[in-house]
Parts: sequence; structure tokens; C-alpha cells
Amino acid sequence: MGMFPSLFRAALPSLLSIALALLVCFIAIAVSRSDLSIAANAYLQMLWGGLGDVPSFLGSGNWSLLTRAWGESAAKAALLTFTGLAVSVAFCVGLFNIGAQGQMTVGAIVAAVIGAKVALPAGLHPAVAIAGAAGAGALYALLPAVLKVRRGVHEVISTIMLNWVAVSLVENWLVVGPLRATASGDLSRSGTDEILPTAELPRLLGSLSRLNAGFPLAVLSAVGVWFWLNRTSNGFEARAVGLGMEAARTAGIDVRARVYQTMAFAGALAGIAGAVWVLGTEYKFPATLGAPYGFDGIAISLIGQNHPLGVGAAAIFFGVLRAGGTRMQLLGVHKSFPELIQGLALLFVAGRLIWDSVLRRSAKRAVPMAEVPRA
Amino acid sequence: MDFEAGEIVALVGENGAGKSTLMNVLSGLYTPDSGEILIEGQPTRFRSPRDAIAREIGMVHQHFMLIPPLTVAENVVLGLEPRKRGLLDLTAARNAVQKTCQRFGFSLPVDARIEDLTVGSQQKVEIIKVLYRGARVLILDEPTAVLTPQECDDLFAVMRELAASGHTIILISHKLREVLAVAARIYVMRRGKLVAQVQGSASNERELAALMVGDARPSPSIGSAKRDRGELLLEIEDLHVLGAQEIPALRGLSLRIFASEVVGIAGVDGNGQRELAEAIAGLRPWTSGSIRFRGEQLRNPSPGELRHRGLAHVPEDRLSRAIIAPMTVEENIALGRDREPPFARKGLIDFAGRRERASRLLKEFDVRPPDAQARIGLLSGGNQQKVVLARELDLAPRLLVVVQPTRGLDISAVRAVHERLLLARERGAGVLLISLDLDEVLSLSDRIYAIFEGRITGELGRAEFDEKRIGRLMMGAERERPPRAPSANA
Repeated sequence: MGMFPSLFRAALPSLLSIALALLVCFIAIAVSRSDLSIAANAYLQMLWGGLGDVPSFLGSGNWSLLTRAWGESAAKAALLTFTGLAVSVAFCVGLFNIGAQGQMTVGAIVAAVIGAKVALPAGLHPAVAIAGAAGAGALYALLPAVLKVRRGVHEVISTIMLNWVAVSLVENWLVVGPLRATASGDLSRSGTDEILPTAELPRLLGSLSRLNAGFPLAVLSAVGVWFWLNRTSNGFEARAVGLGMEAARTAGIDVRARVYQTMAFAGALAGIAGAVWVLGTEYKFPATLGAPYGFDGIAISLIGQNHPLGVGAAAIFFGVLRAGGTRMQLLGVHKSFPELIQGLALLFVAGRLIWDSVLRRSAKRAVPMAEVPRA
Repeated sequence: MDFEAGEIVALVGENGAGKSTLMNVLSGLYTPDSGEILIEGQPTRFRSPRDAIAREIGMVHQHFMLIPPLTVAENVVLGLEPRKRGLLDLTAARNAVQKTCQRFGFSLPVDARIEDLTVGSQQKVEIIKVLYRGARVLILDEPTAVLTPQECDDLFAVMRELAASGHTIILISHKLREVLAVAARIYVMRRGKLVAQVQGSASNERELAALMVGDARPSPSIGSAKRDRGELLLEIEDLHVLGAQEIPALRGLSLRIFASEVVGIAGVDGNGQRELAEAIAGLRPWTSGSIRFRGEQLRNPSPGELRHRGLAHVPEDRLSRAIIAPMTVEENIALGRDREPPFARKGLIDFAGRRERASRLLKEFDVRPPDAQARIGLLSGGNQQKVVLARELDLAPRLLVVVQPTRGLDISAVRAVHERLLLARERGAGVLLISLDLDEVLSLSDRIYAIFEGRITGELGRAEFDEKRIGRLMMGAERERPPRAPSANA
């Protein structure tokens, strides 16, 4: 058996969950508008909105019809990938990181400050801002890790609470206080100062699209996390800690160090999400973070089954859906349906035990378990 | 065995003698393969604990089955709640429990929460629970394990009163003194068989200990008779260690282990063996005393450091401590050495090197199936244990600490493990064998320490092995001499 079938088998519960979520929402739209064709049309619009208006493109040959949509989808997919990875990486050592939102917030504000206040050459500037954001996110995630290891504070509680601390500090103080944009003339602006042009993430397709370097960076990160977990000794130890902490400790693995390091890594990824959002989309820290990307990361991580590549795939899928969701509004269908689909898919994945038992029954011992001879 | 109404009967025996199995049959958890249970002359078959309760047999488990935030009354009626119009009738429940308490002369605050009660009172709640269900036969499994001496006396008074009112009490205990104090008759079990029946008033601890251990000769030694041991590897002096719930587990334990010898620790479960192994392996801090390993004083060593210095450890809880079930066999073999060749190169996993080493070890240790990529959780217990031993011995350890290495394994796996331990000794390693299986300790060890309540109560060289005497030492019925550091050249 090759690698592909086993990967497919592992992904099947998620794929079925997404399919079921799509079906449920389809029915919901159809019922609420008592019209099947509207539901079908809405889904089609969502698809064209996310992937680009293929029919019009075929008619006109105008590439920007596609590339503009790609830019929006990719921007969302990049953020979801980073926050999804932030959750799944922490999960590798058995920690549930609910704090990606807060880690992303501190990352974003640090990136905004470095982008606006530090003068650096174009190539270096975004890199430094991203590194700063990663560092801030890492430190912010270390806090709950230290509390957990030293004091036994449950990380779910501490990361949730630290989310609000971050929001209060950044949005309710820094952004409206010390870091508030300097008024120019009579105009008062919300958010922080705009970043310098040198700090902007380069656009990959120039004026054709807002597609920026954040997306390839996200894909690279997902592959990087996969490589770390599956190819390095360090990642192996992190997995060992997550799967059997006592056995890892007994075998001489430094469990504390792995927990600290992995949690910092997770926070860094969420921090990078903040940097990519500021440097690639907003060009400043606006009044608020707006969307709960950090919390979405939890859903993405679970739908991706905590596998880095699964997380990337789920992020791209829902990035496309959510970028396309706005187009559903043309038909009077609310744009929050993609979020509903995501939420339902998460619910169905969480009901995974049921999938597993259904699949097992239908598999009918497709893979005969090797009879293990007794010693 | 027979049990009469109105008597207190004790059941004693070593770990694995079959006491719990027998009681689980009586309380309906297990069904017998053959044989009969007669209740008042009638053959009876229990299919579930419910059947046993219906026949008025109730079991008070060693570990309390109570819900801490609920009240005494709520806990007692749980599963048999009085109802009124389909709703729980708490007043009726309270009154019924109150009445049961009064009838049996228990003074229990029925409205108090379990978590606010002392352990002794919680035990009474367990007993009331069984009486409330109408039990006339009460099985008490190690009821005094967690009680203070005062609470024990209370419990014995309760037991005597219940017996006087016609109940049958079956007491399972390791504590021979208590058994002798309270039981009219004592059954002694060994290896699933009844070996003796004695009158409580006409026996003593020595006799019981001897009966429990039996007088089978040590099996013809797998170990060779006289041998030269090597350098001093491990020296423990006056070690004090806290166990679970901060209760002292080791209280001034001293011992020495030399190269090229197997040192056995003989003792009844729960006398500090687990904590001793954990302290040596760097998994549990000690409050005072010292451990010297290969001449160096250990101070808060990490398990990783110790392994580098030549200490290998086969822990007791295989599934939680020794292996990571969802990982593959080869990943489990790499565990802890995953940064070194042949398992890694420059921080990256060396898949070929790891596979090669794992496959070689699987072959050498006859692990079945010899598949390095199988999930270790799918292997049988014996094969899992062989993998663990393979990993630990591949460290070429100077000292090997093994705890209960053959528990739950079948005979051929047991033999394989024993051979490996002796082979490690041949190669010059010191082996500390901590086991509840006295036969195992006797047949493998060059020297034996008896442990009781966290102290060494005696030390015997192979020539002096005497099961009866060891039995007495591990029951605390005899203390050879005051705790001391054994002589360097015994």
C-alpha cells in the first residue's frame, strides 16, 4: 500500500464532515429561501468568489478576474494556516492552545511598530518585523507553558484569559493611546501609524492581485512543521512527549524543555499570523483585530486533524470559502454561511467517533489486523 | 471454603495468590470456569454484581467507590434511589439511610458531603452502602490499608458487632497482626489454592507468614553458585522518600549494589519498592539521605543524565512508563537516544540507521512479529517487554533497575526476560530486581534484601536463602537487625 491511500484514509473523516456541513448549509439556504436554485447559485457564487470568476474569465480572458479572488482567498488561507498550525503544534506536546488569538494580537502590534517606526531596507524590513512578531508571540505563549509546568495551571484556562489580556493591552490601550496614529491635518485616524513602504510584504502578481508573500510563507511553514515533526530528532521528542509524557520522561527526554520550546514555537506561528496580517493586508494595526482568526485556528487545526499538511489544506479550503462568501450576498444570502460551514464541519469532526465506527463497519476488516503470535 | 453466618473469616496470601479473583467471583464480577458456589445449600451462579447483591453478598472495595461532592445519603442510595412520581425523593432517601445507620449502630452525618469526612468515616459509608442493599455477607478488601490505628479499632468493633448480629464478614488483608486480632478463622491461599486453615486464636504471625510463602525450595539456580562481584555501583544510605499524597514511603533505606550481581528486593506490595526504583532512576526526589552511583553523589539527577552515566530502567508500569503505545516499535527503541547515532545524524532522524538497529535487536531478542514498523501497542505484553529490555540493554548499562519485569507475561516470555537479566549480569552489569514474585527474586538473585515499610529488614546471601525467614522479614514479623548499611564485602 502506498502512502496516498493511508493519507486518504486518515483524511476521510474530515472530508466527510466537510461534505456533510456543505450539505446541511445547502439545505438551510434552500429551505430558508424555499428555492433550490438559489442555494445552488449561492454555492456557485461562493466558488467563483473564492477561486475567481472562471466563466467570465473564459469569456473575456481577463486574468484579473481570477487573480483578484486568489489574492483574497490566499490572504485568508495564510492567516488560517498560521493560527491553525499554532494550535496543532501545541497539540503535539499535548497542550490545547486556545491562545492563538492573543498571540496573534501581540505579534500584530509588534509588527506594526517595527514596520512603522524602524527604518530598514526593503528586503530586510518585513523579515525583521516578522521575526519580532514571532518573538512576541513566542514569549506570550511561553507564559501559559511556564504556568502549566511550574504551577499546574491548566493551559486552556490561562491561554483563554491571556487572550483578553492581549486584547485589552493592545486594542484598548496601545492602539488608542501611546501608539495611536498621529493626526495629519484635520483628519483623525483610527489604529496605529501606517507601516513604511519598505515593510510591506511584496506582492507576487504586482497590480493584478493583492496576493502577497504571506501565502507562500504559510505553505512553507506548514511543510516546515511537518518536516520538524517527522524528520528531526527534536520533533520526534516533542511527539513522544505528547503521546506518552511519562514514558518520554522515564526514557530521559527533557519533557519540560520540549514543552517550553514547542509552546514557544506555537506562539511564534500565531505571532507571524499577526505580522502577515499587518504587513500584507492592513498596513497598520487597525482599531481592532476584527476577525477571530486565532479562534478559527482551533477549528482549522481540528478539521486538519492536527496534521500540519491537513491544517494547510483545511486553511486553503476555508480561505477560499470565506473569501467567496461575500459573493453570496449578491443573492441575498448572508456572507456568514462559510463560517457556519466551518463550524458545522468542526462539529462533525468532533463527532469523529461516530465516523470511525461507521467507517469500521463498512470496511469489514478490509485491513486484517495481523494476528500477533504470543511470545 | 465455607463461611458461616455470624463469623469473621480472614483470607490471606501473597500477591497473586488468588484472593481478589476469588472475591470477584463471589461478588459476581467474574464467573467461575468450573466449581460451585452454594448459598444455604443451594447451588448459585452469578452473572453480574447485581445477582450477588440479590443473594445478599456485598463487597467493600479497597479503593472507595464514593462521589466526593455528594452527601452520605446520596452516595448510599446511588443506584437504588427512592422515587416519587418519577423524581428523586431525597427526603425518603435520607430517612432510609438514617434508619439503616441506626439499626447497625453507626453514627454517620447523613447530610455531610463525602469530601468533608475522614477516611475512616468514608469507609463506614461504604459499609453502610452494602448493608443498605441488604447484604448479609460482607467482603472487605484490605479495609485497613488507609486507616489510622484508631480508625482500625473502630472498624474492628463494627465488624464484631455485625458478626454478632448474624452477618458473615470476609476480610482480606496483608496485615497479619490485624487478621489474628479480629478473625475467628483464617484461610491461607497460595497460587490459587487453599493451603491451610487455622484458628485465629491458635496461630501467630510467623506461622502465617511461613504458610503464605510456602516451603518450596528455591528453584535450581539459574544463577551460578559462587561468583566474584565487581566494583561498588550503587550505594544508598538512609534514604527518605515521600510517596503519593506526601506519605513517607522510604524511611531510612540503605543498600548497596555491586557490578556482576543480581540483587533482589523481596517485599509485599506497597512497602516502598516503587519509590525506591523511582528515586534511583531520577524520577522522584528524596527528602534526605544519599545515593551514590559509580562513586558520584547524585543530586537531583535527571533521568537523561543517569542514562548517560550507565543506568537503565525497566519500570513497573509498562504501558504508561516504558512504551508509547501509538508509536512504532523502532520509535520506541529510539526513545531517549533519538539524538545519537545510529538513530539520528545532525539532528535529523536517521531512518535507515534506526531501522537497522531496531531490526537487529528484534531478532536478537526474538520479538514477534519482528516488524520494526509495527505499532508497539499491537504487540503482546511479553513482546512489548522484550522490546523494552532490548532498548535498555542496548544502552550497555552498568546498572539495570527492573521492576516487576515479568508481571502478566506467559512462561516462555518470563524465561526470555530472566535469561536476559542473567546475561546482563554475565556482562558485568549490576541488576536490581524489584519484584513481588518471591520465586522470581529467589531464583535470580545473588543477594536479597527484604523490605518492609520503607526500610531494609534483612539481607541474605544466596547461601542463606530461606523462604520462611524471608517471608517473616518481608512481613515485618522479624527484624534481623537495626537498619544499617550492609557490609562492603558480605
